[in-house]
Amino acid sequence: MTMNRRDFLKVGAGASGSLMLSLSLPGCSGMPTGYKEETGEWKPDAWLEITNTDDIHFTLARVEMGQGTYTGLTTLIAEELEVDPEAITPRFAPVAPEYRNPLYKLQLTGGSTSISTSWEPLRTAGASARQMLIMAAARVWNVDADKCTARQGQVFHPNGLDSLRYGQLVELASKEVIRGDVALKPASEWKYIGKQRGRLDAQAKSTGTAVYGIDVELPGMVYTVVSRPPQYGGRVKAFNESEVRAMRGVLDVFEIERGVAIVADKYWSARKAQNALKVEWDNSDAFSLSTSEVFASYRKAADKDRGKSERSEGDYEGAVKKAGKVFEAEYSQPYLAHSTLEPMNATAWYKGDSIEVWAPTQAPDLGRIAAARVTDLSPSEVTIHTTFLGGGFGRRLTQDFIEEAAAVAYRVKKPVKLIWSREEDTQHDLYRPAMLHRMQASLEADQLTGWHHQIVGPQLLDWYVRNAAPAQYPWAPKFMYDTLGKVGLLAEGIATPKDMSAIEGAIEYPYNVENLDVRHTHTDPGVPVTFWRSVGYSHNGFAVETFMDELAHETGEDPYQFRRKLLKGQPRHLDVLDRAVRMAGWDTPVPEGRGRGIALFKSFGTFVAQVVEAGIEKGAIKVYKVACAVDCGQVVNPRIVEDQIEGGIIFGLTAALYGEISFEGGKVQQSNFHDVQLMRQYERPEVTVDIVPSTESPTGVGEPGVPPVIPALGNALFALTGKRQRTLPLKADA
Amino acid sequence: MALSLTVNGEQWSLDIEGDTPLLWVLRDELGLKGTKFGCGVGLCGACTVHLNGQPVRSCSTPVEMAVGGEVTTIEGLAEEGQLHALQKAWIAEGVPQCGYCQSGQIMSAAHLLATNSAPARDDIVAAMTGNLCRCGTYSRIIAAVESVAGNSLAYDASGTGEGN
Repeated sequence: MTMNRRDFLKVGAGASGSLMLSLSLPGCSGMPTGYKEETGEWKPDAWLEITNTDDIHFTLARVEMGQGTYTGLTTLIAEELEVDPEAITPRFAPVAPEYRNPLYKLQLTGGSTSISTSWEPLRTAGASARQMLIMAAARVWNVDADKCTARQGQVFHPNGLDSLRYGQLVELASKEVIRGDVALKPASEWKYIGKQRGRLDAQAKSTGTAVYGIDVELPGMVYTVVSRPPQYGGRVKAFNESEVRAMRGVLDVFEIERGVAIVADKYWSARKAQNALKVEWDNSDAFSLSTSEVFASYRKAADKDRGKSERSEGDYEGAVKKAGKVFEAEYSQPYLAHSTLEPMNATAWYKGDSIEVWAPTQAPDLGRIAAARVTDLSPSEVTIHTTFLGGGFGRRLTQDFIEEAAAVAYRVKKPVKLIWSREEDTQHDLYRPAMLHRMQASLEADQLTGWHHQIVGPQLLDWYVRNAAPAQYPWAPKFMYDTLGKVGLLAEGIATPKDMSAIEGAIEYPYNVENLDVRHTHTDPGVPVTFWRSVGYSHNGFAVETFMDELAHETGEDPYQFRRKLLKGQPRHLDVLDRAVRMAGWDTPVPEGRGRGIALFKSFGTFVAQVVEAGIEKGAIKVYKVACAVDCGQVVNPRIVEDQIEGGIIFGLTAALYGEISFEGGKVQQSNFHDVQLMRQYERPEVTVDIVPSTESPTGVGEPGVPPVIPALGNALFALTGKRQRTLPLKADA
Repeated sequence: MALSLTVNGEQWSLDIEGDTPLLWVLRDELGLKGTKFGCGVGLCGACTVHLNGQPVRSCSTPVEMAVGGEVTTIEGLAEEGQLHALQKAWIAEGVPQCGYCQSGQIMSAAHLLATNSAPARDDIVAAMTGNLCRCGTYSRIIAAVESVAGNSLAYDASGTGEGN
């Protein structure tokens, strides 16, 4: 029996009765789809909802923390749905398996993966819904669906005159069935992708109406602040409860796992009461080292254990034996804070059989575990409402703020908002780890023949697995959480993805050197650490690209040409390198009192080269210009790409110039923006961004701007002063 | 004792401790959440509002210092339903990334333009240097302010009614 396409549709519609979507979308398991008569809403899939009054909602499964998902992901679905992105109202996703990041099997936003992992699925979702709407209209008109077109939220009759609005078609469309693959629009027909467009959240964020976590307001809400141990791992021994309890506005004072919570009618009452709180801490198990001792422990570990081999090519030892010269250098980088401008906060409401949490979180499914952990509830009884995030940078992947808010809410049984002070945010962060790098290169007649890189420091999964492992198995009973964490670590690289956090950017060393030996000495002094914008690339970028510069100098070669010669067969690396050099006028004389430095670094699939022009003015490092070329494949929104790269450059320069969290006797020495300096408007260099035109699949841009600018600045200062700085932050008087 | 103050043209009488920072009064008593908490000590500028036409850091301004005064917040910047020219410029330039600092940025810029309708680049940089942006939107901020400074010049020129 043969069936033509129209028969197929009829059979499909007749057989299904309601929605049957044969889409190959990831994880179409839990979220209800289909048409709801009472509300007139059609949900073709987990992301879209179109109403019979033409409202279009898009469920945004990657949080908006400044990186532009709100605009970028909406653009992807709008393009294929044939509506203006402005006509779509995004809303933040609840926790559901459909919304997991397929790379991590967790619902988290990180790793510069939002566009790359959504590129196919969201366009497919938009195209499928569009196709079903077209099929419904064709049925109404009794014409061939292939001859109908969709644009601006309407389907047009082949006669070009008649049209039906999507809202009029949703009920019928819900009964349509698509067989086989849905064709995506060719790039030549794109109206929104790759075009210069504004941000969909700009209005709300320019009028003070965007709701961040700290803005959540609930009826009868009270406020809490938490005093945490000044040394990580400290425990409450005693505190002056009655004195604090008697203070104005105070409703409750009690110990939670992470410290002492004060609950008050107003935020300011809670803070004033906290000034009167005196806690005696038991520091017997607490972190008690100073920064210098951390690095001493790293060096000791590095001497004792040359580390696990992470990449080995050729025969490095042999190359050393044959070498005319072996060149060595050691680099070190400090702990770094995230300093999101919105301090950590969360609002929680425990209702006996459930808890609701409102929070600016990068990982709502981990937030569910965190709340379940400190209450008598299971993860399925925890609802997480995600808000706009006032910055993330990896900090909000860890859910300590939700854990605290939930613990307090569990006790007070009313809506309670937790707000961290800036000082608390600085001193109780989980940091970008301090790292040590031992580099060695063999040179034979000024040719680089061998490369050795020993990375010394912790791995982030050790700190992250606690809530991440249970979040992958939310049905697991709570008593299993610790076991899941341990199993997660044991299975690392086998059943779970390998932890690349220490070695990423080092093992992808791109230069054509015959003998390679990259190792990691895993050592963890006990300072809480987590993901920080560009993660391992942030420290490996500095080590690799500074050492390359040293080797260029050692061999008497121009740092650009030195790199260039070692990049045969790496066209995308070469292209961005050449472009950055051209933009910066590398071959032109450097203005008096300035130096130029270069760095090239691929991270998160994106190729970035930067040339920094810097000098020293009035005893301070001054960055004048940054020329940056970036190849991130197909661009969805050029303006957001530029902004992310420029923002990454400023983030990286902040680290290079000021970034340092230090410890004395286990206590963080910095507290607020006077000693955690961020680059300010008057220091801003002139940044130019050149985006390579490309039709390759899109890769991330949130992080890749950060790593190269740090070595590029150091290399510029070397060009100026002749003094090599191997420790961050960089100094004007080194 | 009740404290009275005027916020965005509206008069309020509040029973609150006088040392409470204006920020928390605006946010939690009056529900004006557009003004943000960033550092609590006047270092980041996220909490910038105008008090009697002057930019102040509301996080470190006790509410008793605002008694009898006129406070303008980001919510009060629009006039007769029309966004402030700076807000329009912020949207057109696509300035905000995370957006958390932008209310404070706009309030600082609004004060600059109120006192100097045609600021030079250096004036703008100086006026905006007290406002931190962790996302690094600084160049878009300058472009947005300059676009308005240019427009206000054009507006002044046509404001003579002469036209040409």
